[in-house]
Amino acid sequence: MPKKQRPPVVLTPALCKGCGRCIEACPKHAISFGEEIEQTSGYVPVVIDYDICNHCGLCLSACPEPYGLGNTVYDLEHPEHLYGERAARPPRPDDIAARQIPLPELGPLVLKGNYAAAIGALLSGCRHVFGYPITPSTEGAELLSKLLPKLGGVFLQACSEVATVNHMYGTGGAGLPTMTFTSSPGFALMLEGISYMIGAELPSVFINVMRPGPGLGYIGPEQSDLKLCCRGLGHGNTHAIVLAPTSPQEMLDQTMLAFELTFKYRNPVIVAADGFLGQITGRVTLPDAMVEPGLPGWAVYGDAAHSGNLNSSIFQDWTELERHNEHISAKYREMQKHEQRFVANHADDAKTLVIACNTPARMAKAAVEQLRREGLPVGLYQPVTVWPFPIDGLVPLLDHVERIVVVEASDGQLEDELRLALHSAGLRGPELSHLRHMGGILPSDREIIETVRGVTREA
Amino acid sequence: MSGKTAFFEHFDRHAHGKGLKGATTHYCPGCGHGLAHKYVAESLVELGVEERTVMISPVGCAVFLFYYFDTGNTQAAHGRAPAVALGHKLANPESIVVSYQGDGDLASIGLAEIIHAAQLGIPISVVFINNAIYGMTGGQMAPTTLMGQTSTTTPHGRGRMQGPPMRVSEMISQLDGATYVERCALYDQRTRKACKKAIKKALTLQVEGRGFGFVEVLSECPTHWGMSSIDAEAHVRDVLSKAYPLGVLKDEAAEPWFAPEKPCFDPGRVVEVIEASAERPERFCSGFPEHVDPVDVSIKLAGAGGDGAQTAALLVTKAAINEGFDATHIPSYGPESRGGTSYADVHIARDEVLSPAAPEPHVLVAFNAPSLAKFASAVRPGGVIIYDSSVISAAPEVDASVRVYPVPCAEIASSLGARVVKNVVALGALQEALKLLADESFLTTLRLSLASKCAMIPVNEEAYRWGVKAVREGISAFDD
Repeated sequence: MPKKQRPPVVLTPALCKGCGRCIEACPKHAISFGEEIEQTSGYVPVVIDYDICNHCGLCLSACPEPYGLGNTVYDLEHPEHLYGERAARPPRPDDIAARQIPLPELGPLVLKGNYAAAIGALLSGCRHVFGYPITPSTEGAELLSKLLPKLGGVFLQACSEVATVNHMYGTGGAGLPTMTFTSSPGFALMLEGISYMIGAELPSVFINVMRPGPGLGYIGPEQSDLKLCCRGLGHGNTHAIVLAPTSPQEMLDQTMLAFELTFKYRNPVIVAADGFLGQITGRVTLPDAMVEPGLPGWAVYGDAAHSGNLNSSIFQDWTELERHNEHISAKYREMQKHEQRFVANHADDAKTLVIACNTPARMAKAAVEQLRREGLPVGLYQPVTVWPFPIDGLVPLLDHVERIVVVEASDGQLEDELRLALHSAGLRGPELSHLRHMGGILPSDREIIETVRGVTREA
Repeated sequence: MSGKTAFFEHFDRHAHGKGLKGATTHYCPGCGHGLAHKYVAESLVELGVEERTVMISPVGCAVFLFYYFDTGNTQAAHGRAPAVALGHKLANPESIVVSYQGDGDLASIGLAEIIHAAQLGIPISVVFINNAIYGMTGGQMAPTTLMGQTSTTTPHGRGRMQGPPMRVSEMISQLDGATYVERCALYDQRTRKACKKAIKKALTLQVEGRGFGFVEVLSECPTHWGMSSIDAEAHVRDVLSKAYPLGVLKDEAAEPWFAPEKPCFDPGRVVEVIEASAERPERFCSGFPEHVDPVDVSIKLAGAGGDGAQTAALLVTKAAINEGFDATHIPSYGPESRGGTSYADVHIARDEVLSPAAPEPHVLVAFNAPSLAKFASAVRPGGVIIYDSSVISAAPEVDASVRVYPVPCAEIASSLGARVVKNVVALGALQEALKLLADESFLTTLRLSLASKCAMIPVNEEAYRWGVKAVREGISAFDD
């Protein structure tokens, strides 16, 4: 093509960093290193001898800068285009709301806890599940790997828990419900990803069927990760709502609640079950509606409407990053205000209050029922959310509660949450004692009864 | 710049697009990233897919990919971009997902993710920038750093103690899942053209649903190599591309295959898939077995793994729930599928099972001697013990109020030609000894559980009746 018919090559000196890669690319040797510093950029741009240049354009494909060399003079005619105010972005599309679809009245199912949570996920509209096998949580992944293909869904067995959480970061980032089943050592490996999800404000549900540690520990039931779930979700200022089920029914119900909350707050939600809850089989009543998920406006779905969106947790400007943290902290305050959940039994007139969650709460309930039959004023306060700790429901009880007995399958992880919550509420709280087991042993109802009798006698 | 690209016209995300940052990249002069970006940006537009593209930016110098690409963008954790890319691709199979990574990100911390993504073979496109150094953190050794090359963590040059550099494309090309692998460079017009072509080809393979494409780009890092841009190009030409030879390492013809089904939210289908039903099983019990306990009956079934204790426990649980009671089953769970000890705790409660463990059961069913020895003394006064007298010779010494039934479960099952039904013999015995529910409660549950294995129903029913008969008639030894 003769020179005249090819568009001219135009250098925008302000956008040239002077690397000189175009110099080598020019067969006519029309380009050379410049000598004058460009005042706006501080670089020394190259110089083009337009008398020699034949517009061949080879320099264009050698230039690493998108707009250093070009074929149009547009940028030169409109310098304000370069330095002007932020250009208009396409508006973020509206949220497509999730839809409740009524279910017919169905008979109860008899389900293992892990299966119940898996079915809860299906009824929540989750069709993308990722996971890595780990006892005692694996049955959830196994069932979903069987059922999801029948519903146009995907179960992908990841190469590790680290990959799992990042698959979830992708699918959650696309605005769809996603979840995993894991257990303590696997959950620990997911923490980095959870921190990124919190930073990028992405939804996801984690069913952590906790087992004893430290290290490999073993596979029995323990409440070993309450600390990790409530205080240690990777680096940064992180929190997530932590739900604590006590039965297969609650494994299903709380999984469904978790999906609702994770989209409501754009923050991961953790269902912290102990090993027993993964393995226990029981009666499960199905809800009267299932969910067809929508598509949030913020999603990076990979279509034209959402192409202006970005999932990211990086903020180069420190002030902006602080503002982002404040925004996330404001969400935590909202969760603390609106999402505290608990169940109380015989608590209204209790002088001794047992605090327990997960399977130990069932033993505690059995113990409390027995002690009540014996006439002792004992009650049970069962946090359903461990974070936010349901302090607002506890405070009024402290008018008559003289002592609290924390019953748990860990070395005081639940008690620490209670102590922090009391302290934050400006309360000293009543006398605290506890019954703890670890290693896969759960506190038995008999031990709880003895412990309560013991502290009551002492008083 | 020639032609339309997928770059933003104005880089608003780059320091809010203020001043020159609105139109220039954050890369150092002479860096190869800008060229690789350009080839991706041009290819996306040429293929007409920029609006449905999601760019995954890594950790490394390309972390700010989203400043430039007018597409959907997700920023991933260090090394995890291929895992994140798969999450996006599976969420929306129509989307075009590009995982763009550097050598530290991909070949060091993210090696597991890239290998498994490549082996999985789901159509995503990976652009791997190999400049043999960590750029963003300031010039440390990368897995691809050459022998003898100095970096801030190999001040005396990479030596034996650091091991040899890693040839990633060769490794990826060995994986059956990968469809297309090519190594390119940017040092002259010919290599740049080839690089653009390779990137476009990898994207095309994805657009057409054919497979996983991987393009390694030998890229200049003048800053950390301590060279001018022009010397850096020469370095890639004369040194780097000798250690990492350019060319196509793998190019398999692949038919389009990736077309996942759309997720289904039809309630009828969902109900069918989770095997729920509006029908409620018939009830046969007149009331809660108060003669055993007023509110809560606990049962322990124990044996060796494979004895069927868990299956029997589950049947009791289901039968009780079908009768309208609450019931739970907790297995002892271990890594051994067969051969280890296996016991199950079952509770049946009038209203609600509280503590699901059965440390002091009303009933013990023992399939082997160790189980009987371990749990017999825990049975409550007035309780019941059933043990398999085919394999346990000695009766347990227990409280006089405990009723003990030796039942030759294994022998009866063998005589029926199905050793696996010995647990069902025990169930029949349990019901006959305790009158827990009704015979039909168990038999109906058995039939429902075997709905998919109808041929097994008769032998199971017979096993159950033999269990009933053994207790009723005191058959403790069986000889057919």
